[in-house]
Amino acid sequence: MSTRAGHIGSVPLPRAGHGNLRWVVIAAVVVVVSMFVVGGKAQVMRLGYQIDELEKQKRELERANRALTIEASSLAAPARVEEIAVKRFGMVRPAKENIVVVKRRQTAAPPQAGAPKGARSAGER
Amino acid sequence: MLVLTAMGFVLIAARLVFLQVIERKDLSRRAERQQERLMKLDPKRGTIYDRMGRELAVSLDVESVYGVPSEVEDPRAVAGRLARVLSQDPRDLQRKLTGERQFVWISRRVEPAKAERAKAVDPGAIGLTSEARRFYPKRALAGSVLGFTDIDNRGLEGVELQYDDLLRGVDGWILAEKDAKGRTVFPGGHGFQYRLPEPGRDLVLTVDEVVQHIADKELDRGLADSKARGGICIVMNPHNGAILALSVRTAGRGRGAFNPNDPQHYRPDEWRNRAVTDAYEPGSIFKAITAAAALEERVVQPREQFDCSAGSIHVADRVIKDAHQNGVLTFADVIAESSNVGTIKVAQRLGKAKLAKYIEAFGFGRRTGVDLPGEIPGIFRDHRLWSGVSLATISIGQEIGVTPIQMAAAYGAIANGGTLLRPYVVAEVRGRGNEEGTRTALVAAGRVASPETCTTLQRILQKAVESGTGQKAKPAGYTAAGKTGTAQKIDPRTGRYSKDDYVSSFVGFTPAGAPKLVILVMLDSPVGVVWGGSVAAPVFRAVAEQSLAYLQVPPDDLGGRMLLVTR
Repeated sequence: MSTRAGHIGSVPLPRAGHGNLRWVVIAAVVVVVSMFVVGGKAQVMRLGYQIDELEKQKRELERANRALTIEASSLAAPARVEEIAVKRFGMVRPAKENIVVVKRRQTAAPPQAGAPKGARSAGER
Repeated sequence: MLVLTAMGFVLIAARLVFLQVIERKDLSRRAERQQERLMKLDPKRGTIYDRMGRELAVSLDVESVYGVPSEVEDPRAVAGRLARVLSQDPRDLQRKLTGERQFVWISRRVEPAKAERAKAVDPGAIGLTSEARRFYPKRALAGSVLGFTDIDNRGLEGVELQYDDLLRGVDGWILAEKDAKGRTVFPGGHGFQYRLPEPGRDLVLTVDEVVQHIADKELDRGLADSKARGGICIVMNPHNGAILALSVRTAGRGRGAFNPNDPQHYRPDEWRNRAVTDAYEPGSIFKAITAAAALEERVVQPREQFDCSAGSIHVADRVIKDAHQNGVLTFADVIAESSNVGTIKVAQRLGKAKLAKYIEAFGFGRRTGVDLPGEIPGIFRDHRLWSGVSLATISIGQEIGVTPIQMAAAYGAIANGGTLLRPYVVAEVRGRGNEEGTRTALVAAGRVASPETCTTLQRILQKAVESGTGQKAKPAGYTAAGKTGTAQKIDPRTGRYSKDDYVSSFVGFTPAGAPKLVILVMLDSPVGVVWGGSVAAPVFRAVAEQSLAYLQVPPDDLGGRMLLVTR
């Protein structure tokens, strides 16, 4: 077996090989960018669907809220409240004899500015 | 051959020039018409609140089902399945779903679950759309004031009609496109044309739902007790003309009071607010107007005496009688005891022109301007056209037609010291978003009498309640002033006053010294006991007692049972 010593030199790739790699890199970049773009678009669409779904839920909840408002308003109708008060709880309006009107006595004007501390107006007890 | 081919090309070229150049505008317009679909967006109708902000009329979105007949492959089968879901006539549905139309209503305002089941029958041809439906959560409460809307949410009666422009809002629209199959496509992007609907304004009424309930309940009780055909009760603030309650009832139809949720179950005459649309002869409650005129013109003094012992008076060719025998009465007693003879004697001192002047000043014969639809001016003839008996009959409330709202406004003027005010039911039109709302301004229609005259008249009317014909109107714990009326109705068969058909009324204010409420009660055709003091006055008392307590007006007549405290 004979051995040849010496500089083996570089192994030049064929020219066509350089061009292929470039195209591969470009294609990879295009694919990656496209994936980002498509992914972004898909994300936008997904979010759009979510927004749409949430809008729908919001509308439904608003409608339910209004329906409950109407129901609450209907349940608070004075005729119904009075009927429950009278029939279920046996409530009655107080008779004239049971009413005592508490009437506030007119008090005198408040003390003037500069009046001694603790001084009382004429009407105060 | 070549020539023929060339001619063919020339013809085609000419046709192309004709279509693309000459007819271009017209054809592109026609294409747009065929491709575009303008979809209307309904605005949300405004809410109506009572004066404390409680909902009286509210709109709620509900589903409506529509069909696209051009998309239905088997109208009979689809109609059959829809009919089962919606409980409708299958033949009627089949007729709707047959043809090439793009839109038909199948059923409007249905329950959400039912609507979903209807859509599932044929999702390609059956669609759902939201529509607002009007609800009146308090049912019959203030029904004749609120009115109602039609299926397209247009106001048809009451406040709903009067304020329709404000409540309704402004329609919106979307310019959508149709694809080749006629389906709606929303283009989106920059070319997307639309206008969002502007919601209607909310209204705040002067009506208080509790006072309204009290008026409704007590009027119903009055109708049941008197077996009257119908009745009206108005509760008004005499200091600004705000109507706190307006109750209109028609008895004996077995359907209860008018409920705006189901207007189709009532006859059109039951929709009407008869407090403003109908005139009636007021009878003796009108004597207060004659008294105000006489006092203001100083032709009489409260203590001046009138001989009413004859019990009747000859006027022209007629004899007008008192309801019961009176002796010599002071002018105050003439009014308190409701003497026709005494009132006519006073009116004769006034004369036609002066009485007519005051009747007009009190607003009779013209609309009050209340913000409710269909108001009539009543019937009041020029005094130059009066007959020999007119002065006498008009002074006691005959030969004149007034609306209940006119009468309440006139007593409001007596109660507030002489200013006739325009009654109103809408206190505020609320603004959109942060916009400021508009509050209704007080409108004075004129001065009818001096404060002194009004004070004197208030005392006379208080006497009518304390010792006269209106004693049953006295609310427990409060003073009151007012006048009874029992007016004969005209018998349509004879054209003369009926002997057994009356309008019984009571109108007054309370507390007498510092009036907070004017209350009018009118009962149409009571049976048996017909006197206003017996059938209408108790309704006044009940409404006054409960309303004043609710409004926290301190009693002014508790017979010394008051406790003075000092802060």
